[in-house]
Amino acid sequence: MPVVAFDQVTVTVETDHSPTPKVLLDGVNLRLAERRVGVIGANGSGKSTLLRLVNGLIQPTAGKVAVDGDDTVRAVRKVRRSVGFVFTDPLSQLVMPTGREDVELSLRRSVRNGRERQAMAEAALDHLGLLPLADQSIYELSGGERQLMALAAVLAVNPSVLVLDEPSTLLDLRNRELLRHTLGGLEQQVIMSTHDLELALDMDRVLVIENGTVAFDGAPADAVAFYRALCLDGMRHPTGPATGPGTP
Amino acid sequence: MRGHGFLLANYVPGNSFIHRSPLALKFLLVFACGLASFLVVDWRVSLAVLAALCGLFLLTGAGPKRLGRVVRPLFPVLLVIGLFQWWQLGAPTAGRIVLNILVCVVAASLLTATTPVQRILDGVVAAATPFQRFGADPERFALTIGVMLRSIPYIAGTFADVRDSARARGLDRNPRALVLPVFITSVAYARQTGEALAARGLGDAGDDGPGD
Repeated sequence: MPVVAFDQVTVTVETDHSPTPKVLLDGVNLRLAERRVGVIGANGSGKSTLLRLVNGLIQPTAGKVAVDGDDTVRAVRKVRRSVGFVFTDPLSQLVMPTGREDVELSLRRSVRNGRERQAMAEAALDHLGLLPLADQSIYELSGGERQLMALAAVLAVNPSVLVLDEPSTLLDLRNRELLRHTLGGLEQQVIMSTHDLELALDMDRVLVIENGTVAFDGAPADAVAFYRALCLDGMRHPTGPATGPGTP
Repeated sequence: MRGHGFLLANYVPGNSFIHRSPLALKFLLVFACGLASFLVVDWRVSLAVLAALCGLFLLTGAGPKRLGRVVRPLFPVLLVIGLFQWWQLGAPTAGRIVLNILVCVVAASLLTATTPVQRILDGVVAAATPFQRFGADPERFALTIGVMLRSIPYIAGTFADVRDSARARGLDRNPRALVLPVFITSVAYARQTGEALAARGLGDAGDDGPGD
């Protein structure tokens, strides 16, 4: 499995409302080598920021993120070849009118020959059972089909790490189960943020992010229990920051 | 967001002679129609060209419904343009201008309905390759065209959605309630598309390089 390493990573952004920068992530140290890593936490806790760092979509303000030793800032092109990214809304990810064309777009960079590209695109779509939907307009697909199509477009280039930012948020139960089943069968290392605690329980390791820090890091069941307690605590004390037992 | 496969027809798989025609010929047809719209001065010629193009479109097997979906969204705009030109320059000129716009749209749809986007992009890359010596990046050029083809129906769809929500709030006569949200959504869409392309490593300068 590839190793994704966060070394004292801090991300801050300037805001109009405050003279001091807002801290999105604060001194995060992680070494992710498990096959399935889940990231849970409240909205605005820093989950998406953490995931975007892995693909180089965001650069750390301080510290370093590396994928198999490759710095996500200095070797961003190389990192993006090995790290696929699936967004919450597949419509913002699928940039071509049909799934087939979008998968072929992914392959344009690596496969120059048109026929070879077509064959590889068909294989990628077939792998996820999407071939019958390949030529339909992406607007005619259901939410789950679109999400799987976006996944196919990312998997077509065979990344070693797959990062998914809340992929089940817009899906109904049937499509969520479809996605869950598909993710379970992937060979790639999967790093996924989610609000779906059932999905989080499928992971090998789960991180709970709270106020830009890793509040818990451990087994899925323990992480989910910690997160539930954190949420309940936050409801009981809505004005103050939620506290927990910290990283074990 | 609604389904928005209109304005330019999506590819329809088929085996008509137009499907099999060389891409360069179809490009040439679109170019010629664009050029003719400046040169043709008789509305009857424009009407004849439009009829011929509609006939060709139907021969592709894409069907009259799809043709209707391509031209129908243009009607409100064409009505405004037509009335204005009629007032300014008279009926024959107004008719010619409206018909020429339709000629361009149907010609472009003939290309997109009978050619997969990837083949269009391959054609753009081939056409832009000679400019590589001047620093042009043909793949980026093709990507721009591809994103543009996808963005036109998206923005048209955004307009329809925003119009509906303005109607629901009783603001359908307020231009600000229509234009501003469409503008903001379009900018957000552009940012999301850029981010999605970046995440897939597409559009980076020198894509085919060995990496960092």
